[in-house]
Amino acid sequence: MTVTRKSKPFLTPIILVLVFLVFLSASLFAQETASGISVAPPANVVASDFNYDRGEQAEVRWKLSSDDNGSAGVIGYEIFRAGVGSEDFVSVGLALPGESYFLDKDVQKGVGYVYKVAALYSGGQSFSDVSNAVIPELEMINWNLLNLFIIGLLIAASVIYFISHAKKGRKLFIRKIAGLEAIDEAIGRATEMGRPILFIPGINDMDDVQTIAGITILGRVARMVADYDIKINMPVSRSIVMTTARETIKEAYAGAGRPDAYNDDMVRYVTDEQFGYVAAVDGIMVREKPATCFYLGAFFAESLILAETGNSIGAIQIAGTAQPAQLPFFVAACDYTLIGEELFAASAYLSNEPKQLGSLKGQDIGKSLAMIIIIIGVISATISRAWGGSFFIWLSEFVNKISTIQN
Amino acid sequence: MMMRKDFLVYLAVLVVFLLLYFVIPKPVVFSTAVSSIIIGLIVLSLIFILIRTIRGKLVGRRTVFLFVGIAVVLPFFMTISQPIVLSPEVKLVYDSVSELKSGSRVLVSFDYDPASAPELQPMAESFFRLCLERDLKIIIMGLWPQGPQQAELALQIALQDPDVVKKNLQRGVDYVNLGFQTGNEFVIQRMGTSFKSMFPRDTRGVLYDSIPLLKDVSNFSNIDYSFNLSAGYPGTVEWVQVAVDRYGLKLGTGNTGVQATGMYPYLRAGQLKGLLGGLSGAAEFEKATNKIGQATFYMLPQSFSHIIVIIFIIIGNAAYFLGEKKKKKEQ
Amino acid sequence: MEIFGTWVAAFLTLGIISFLYRDNPWYKVCESIFVGISAGYWFVTLFFDNILGLFWAGITREDPNYMLLVGAVLGVMMLLRLVPSIGWISRWPLSFVVGATAGFYLINYFSSNVMLQVSSTLLPLLSPGFGQPLFSSSLYDVVGNIIVAAGTFTGLVYFFFSKEHKGAFGHAAKIGIWTIMITFGASFGYTVMSRMSLLIGRMEFIFGNWLGMIR
Repeated sequence: MTVTRKSKPFLTPIILVLVFLVFLSASLFAQETASGISVAPPANVVASDFNYDRGEQAEVRWKLSSDDNGSAGVIGYEIFRAGVGSEDFVSVGLALPGESYFLDKDVQKGVGYVYKVAALYSGGQSFSDVSNAVIPELEMINWNLLNLFIIGLLIAASVIYFISHAKKGRKLFIRKIAGLEAIDEAIGRATEMGRPILFIPGINDMDDVQTIAGITILGRVARMVADYDIKINMPVSRSIVMTTARETIKEAYAGAGRPDAYNDDMVRYVTDEQFGYVAAVDGIMVREKPATCFYLGAFFAESLILAETGNSIGAIQIAGTAQPAQLPFFVAACDYTLIGEELFAASAYLSNEPKQLGSLKGQDIGKSLAMIIIIIGVISATISRAWGGSFFIWLSEFVNKISTIQN
Repeated sequence: MMMRKDFLVYLAVLVVFLLLYFVIPKPVVFSTAVSSIIIGLIVLSLIFILIRTIRGKLVGRRTVFLFVGIAVVLPFFMTISQPIVLSPEVKLVYDSVSELKSGSRVLVSFDYDPASAPELQPMAESFFRLCLERDLKIIIMGLWPQGPQQAELALQIALQDPDVVKKNLQRGVDYVNLGFQTGNEFVIQRMGTSFKSMFPRDTRGVLYDSIPLLKDVSNFSNIDYSFNLSAGYPGTVEWVQVAVDRYGLKLGTGNTGVQATGMYPYLRAGQLKGLLGGLSGAAEFEKATNKIGQATFYMLPQSFSHIIVIIFIIIGNAAYFLGEKKKKKEQ
Repeated sequence: MEIFGTWVAAFLTLGIISFLYRDNPWYKVCESIFVGISAGYWFVTLFFDNILGLFWAGITREDPNYMLLVGAVLGVMMLLRLVPSIGWISRWPLSFVVGATAGFYLINYFSSNVMLQVSSTLLPLLSPGFGQPLFSSSLYDVVGNIIVAAGTFTGLVYFFFSKEHKGAFGHAAKIGIWTIMITFGASFGYTVMSRMSLLIGRMEFIFGNWLGMIR
């Protein structure tokens, strides 16, 4: 006897549908898992006060999440802050993957804070433990600037030493400055030609050290002008400079025994406006044709205009300024130029005042220090790169450290 | 006789200008051929002057002025363009701004007056345009009285740019002008702790605390980048010494050509994050931002005038050395 | 009104430029107008921006800043210089200004213009920067580093006033002044560009805004 199996026509489709459903749910489940995969949180969150500020900043450091390895896991970090004892954390900033430092600039001095850092991933955030409490404080002394303090103290001490040295009447050597001899020569020329002298003390006010140097040299020039009985013309662009210059010239005339020859009109205020002033001075130059022009002080854009006009009238011109941008014009257009510090040296040389002489010598100590640092620094850096040597490496780093300002 | 001659010269100049005003059809544009002919004529005349100088017939200063005037004016009408090469210091300004995220705060200090506007105004316009296109928030102030006024002029130009107009920007929200404050470097010093103490109101008179843009801005630590346009004192030097070295502000600068050489030591030492020097710096910045402006237009006259100056320096030196040689021969 | 203003500006511009030909009455008129207006402008600016806009507004606002009165008193003391019998009082505010400025500048200039510049001069001469391999830099960088280091050093030698410029010291000073002069040349070039820019701006005004000839 043969038994015939009954056919089951719907079984295969049902099995196929079931298999399809299994795969579908598996893929859906897999997707859900991928988006729901959490990442490891950051660890060791440490909060500290930012050094040497006014207590308005706090630093937060953390150890990177172990899933922060360049894959698509960690997409960044978010930093949260709350007051000590509070659970109310607010977001204060973000950091990129791979970064483990954040500077919170929005804190108040003396208030305690705690921080949490969350590693961000596509499904959400993975929070770290709460950090230690930090209280931002104001630091009175910025110890990073100790090198600046020591070097400044050395230079100040040398200035004070040389000033006291000069006050005791001891001679301080200053090398010859070419432009100074030219001053006497220029005034002599004006005397021979019977034409006036023009003196321009720059366009800055008396608070500028260049103007002070110019007025000091004016004292010497005015004395010679009084002795030789020639006219001096001094248009100025600041009212305080006008009054100071008048006093200086008045003293010079009194010193020469000719106080009656002094006239307030020798020094005239023109205008504060730069190009208005130079237009007026140009007009004076062309009309009065001075034999000698002195430009000693702080100048800006008007320097070349003045020098060129002086050149065109055939005057002998002596200039001196510490403005680096204006020195090229004076050097090109004037007969003698006191470059930068030579102006202050000339002022010290002519006045023979102990404070000015002592300051100049003290500054020379500063320059010596700079030259020594440069020589040692450059040689040690070059040798340490070329041949190594722990001593030269140490020396180079030491010299760099003492000359760098860290904020 | 001299007065009559002078009077005739002035009358001639007046007639020429009146003819230019009333008679000449405008605008005047020289074709490439005409431009080349003009350049050729100028070159020939300069060669002529050089030959005369070598022969001992020196040219007067007025001739030099005339040639400089021609070199400055004629390129306005030419259609020649000039290639502009981006220098690293200009690129640094552009990159520093490009790296800023949308919503970053930029402090712009206007420390110049209209006398320096031909060089600095194009920089200001380009800088504003770049910042506004990138949705950066601009805080304007000035240490020179006319500075904030120059800022308003530049701002109006930038706000009319097609890429900026569609953003519908608002004063107080996207940009603010705090105006001028007297005190020079002491203002910068105080801004290190509190902007509000130096600028209690903006130029419209609105209180500092009522300006939405300044809600979280108390001092330099809340500023992401700063740009200083400077023509003298107070200016970039003071900003570097106080804001950068004391408060760690990130600073780029646009200076007149006069000041620019003095800024290179600061750039080299890393105290400055970028430098636009003079008109060429402004033109390079326009190139970097892909928006041609006034600075690029001015570069052709600039180049022409420089070439004329160089040629006259050669002629002048030729005259000097030949004169020295002649003196020695006579001695 | 704008056309009138443009014509007046053009007249004044050409008047000042006429000085290049010769001093003349036209230039004198323009110069006098400029000097007078600039003096008046500065007075008005200082009054409305400083005295009225900052001082008066500062002491009359809702939360007045009475510290401004200290500055006002010092300013009045400065003006007493005009009265000969009590002019000595003006020395006090002047001393305050000079002293405060000196103290402020002392640290700023020393750190920014001395210390940081010295430290940026400490360059290894044969490599682009500290920490870079030897001879890895371009010739441009090597030459540049040598020029910066040697130029800075010899420039300091030139401005050293305590020793005569003789012998090796004198030769170093000579190199220093050459370096300084070359720098001046570069500065001069940059400034020529600056001046030309201003002239270009004015010429654009004349031929563009006034004559309308520029496209």
